[in-house]
Amino acid sequence: MTDPGCKRTVLIVEDDRDTRSALAEVLEDGNYRLLTAENGKAALDELRAAPSPPCLILLDVMMPVMDGREFRLEQEKDPALSKIPVVVLSAHADAVVSANQMGAAGFLKKPVDLGDLLRTVEQFCPKSS
Amino acid sequence: MWWMRAASMKNWQVQGEFKALQASAEVRAVTDSVKDYAIFLLDPDGIVVTWNVGAERLKGYKAPEIIGQSFERFYTEQDQAAGLPRTLLAAAAREGRVEHEGWRVRRDGSRFWADVVINRIEGKGGELIGFTKVTRDLSERRRTEEDLRQSEERLRRMIESVKDYAIFLLDPQGRVSSWNSGAERLKGFTAAEIIGQHFSRFYLPEDLAARKPDRELEIASATGRFEEEGWRLRKDGTRFWASVVLSAVRDGDGKLMGFTKVTRDMTERRRAAEEVVERARQQSAVSSLGLHALQTADLDLVRDRALEVTRETLRIDDVRILSAGEPAPAGSITAVIHAADAQGESGTFAVISDRELNANDTTFLQAVANVVAAAFVRARTEEQLRNAEREAVEERGRTVQAEQALSERDEFISVAAHELRTPLTALQLKLQGLARTGGIERKTDRLGGAVRQTQRLTRLVDRLLDVSRIAQGRVEMRPEAFDFAALVRQVAEDFREPAVQARSPLQLHLPERVLGTWDRLRMEQVLVNLLSNALKYGAGKPIAVTLDALSSTVRLAVADQGIGIAPEDVDRIFGRFQRAASIRNYGGMGLGLYVTRHIVEAHGGIISVVSNPGEGATFVVELPSGPRAVDRERLKARA
Repeated sequence: MTDPGCKRTVLIVEDDRDTRSALAEVLEDGNYRLLTAENGKAALDELRAAPSPPCLILLDVMMPVMDGREFRLEQEKDPALSKIPVVVLSAHADAVVSANQMGAAGFLKKPVDLGDLLRTVEQFCPKSS
Repeated sequence: MWWMRAASMKNWQVQGEFKALQASAEVRAVTDSVKDYAIFLLDPDGIVVTWNVGAERLKGYKAPEIIGQSFERFYTEQDQAAGLPRTLLAAAAREGRVEHEGWRVRRDGSRFWADVVINRIEGKGGELIGFTKVTRDLSERRRTEEDLRQSEERLRRMIESVKDYAIFLLDPQGRVSSWNSGAERLKGFTAAEIIGQHFSRFYLPEDLAARKPDRELEIASATGRFEEEGWRLRKDGTRFWASVVLSAVRDGDGKLMGFTKVTRDMTERRRAAEEVVERARQQSAVSSLGLHALQTADLDLVRDRALEVTRETLRIDDVRILSAGEPAPAGSITAVIHAADAQGESGTFAVISDRELNANDTTFLQAVANVVAAAFVRARTEEQLRNAEREAVEERGRTVQAEQALSERDEFISVAAHELRTPLTALQLKLQGLARTGGIERKTDRLGGAVRQTQRLTRLVDRLLDVSRIAQGRVEMRPEAFDFAALVRQVAEDFREPAVQARSPLQLHLPERVLGTWDRLRMEQVLVNLLSNALKYGAGKPIAVTLDALSSTVRLAVADQGIGIAPEDVDRIFGRFQRAASIRNYGGMGLGLYVTRHIVEAHGGIISVVSNPGEGATFVVELPSGPRAVDRERLKARA
């Protein structure tokens, strides 16, 4: 599940600017490298422009332009991207259902607890040995 | 046996001739054998000279008793006093023969009706020598005749006295020849008026045209009898229904002598029979109306049918249904429609007729009114049932609406929770991160972020409170004079960074100053809401904000070039919890435009939107620029 080539990079796909920056801040504090995108389409652009794929994608569900579900369909179609694990971020009560439907590797319910977030990210992005 | 009293003979010559006459055996044989006739001789003075067996039998005298006596004793005292015996003798002497009928007196004083013939007897020289007198007792015949006469008289009187039948005779040509009181009573003619007139005057013109009287006579003449019932005329021209029997009268030789006609007035009986038929017809009409009323739910149809049936059955055109309390027209016959419930009278059936209605007619009318009353009750009951049903349906509808409202509220709560969690995520991460990391600058920065999130939460909560206040009509406006253009510039400045983030630059088209009186904070809220929407749905294209000061109004337009709004959504986007865009792509509680609309309207302004899907939307707010009291009632009504 982990890819040593991912270099502790995490892609945050979140339309809410404050949430996106808060996530970025705490992950930067945990020495992760970050990519951000405000919707699915921007995320695809980021991924394709990136020199190497991230270890993990933190994916919001409801977003303008391209939402989380549509992003997942596009990701599955692209062999270069389809292997990247995705953890769904959702404020909805049925976040677990959404995550299953989207074939996600995990989910985090908003508001996100920092400890849960770091543990989850750590699973997919182990510290380089 | 012949008797003779010579002494009574004055003229012996005559006496001699008498003797010769008496002696005639033939005469004696004849006179003696005649028992039914008194045959005797009188001398010229009227003295009885001979007497036969018939005379004795008839008058009661024996020959010796009467021969030599004057014949005057055979007469009544009155006739004697009147000189009748002498007159008769003188007449016989003069004329040669006289005949007389009259009362005669027997020996015992009793009377008999006699036919008397007195013949003069002449001598050879033509001189009067006496008289023969032949007396016949007509009492029996007279009695028979009298009986017959009386019988005829009784019959005549009887016929005359018959009042219920017109009984009269016609001659062979059809002229009236007798007339009874029944005929007078029935037809109105007196005997004097009608006898001699042709009976065709009793017939209707159409019967005359058809030669009916002649044909009836022909039939009666040919078959002996003609019988029929039909209309006849009275003297005054009125009709009556007659039963007529016309019989031919023939003499012993079969010769037509005329006709008897017996006519009876059957008008009353016919009327009674017709009444029975009429009643049956009316009953049938009421039954069919009742059946119709059973099968027809529509009261108007039943009323129309009732009017029609009444017109047809009573043969009266002017039939109406009056509403309860409406006065009946003069001369109308009415039947009240009693609907059998607490409301009582439901109207009146009124018939305006020239002809008098009989008991059957009024009974019929009431029966029709009763059918209509039943239909009234039925219609009222059905109306109540329908109302109850409608109320039940409305109740269900209200339940559905209530459920829908609840469902909208549930959805709103879900959305609101989502919206609240978003800033909470950032806030929580920042505060938790703050607790873990050192460095004052970083802490300050993160605390600033946390504060921003709390402000954001405050705005959300404020908006929820606004909605709640609007719903309860408790929004208060605090008008103050300020420059609207300056406010737009300030809010646009606040949006500068978000606009850059959304890659939708704000293009302002503003006059230098736009002064007016509004609630400053609420107007700021309007601008924030409209700009937030424009950035959110603006698809990264420029947003134009235009402010125009008109004579007494201010016009603000915020135009984006984004996804736009479908025509079917335009009307509802100003409603509570409504949004045109998919919630999958666009968050938000769906309250912004709702609150905006109420703020604008509370200022006496209007908000509208023009949009084409895919080409953006332009929201236009028009506000009066002068001070204006807030219309709380209207605010409440539209909430």
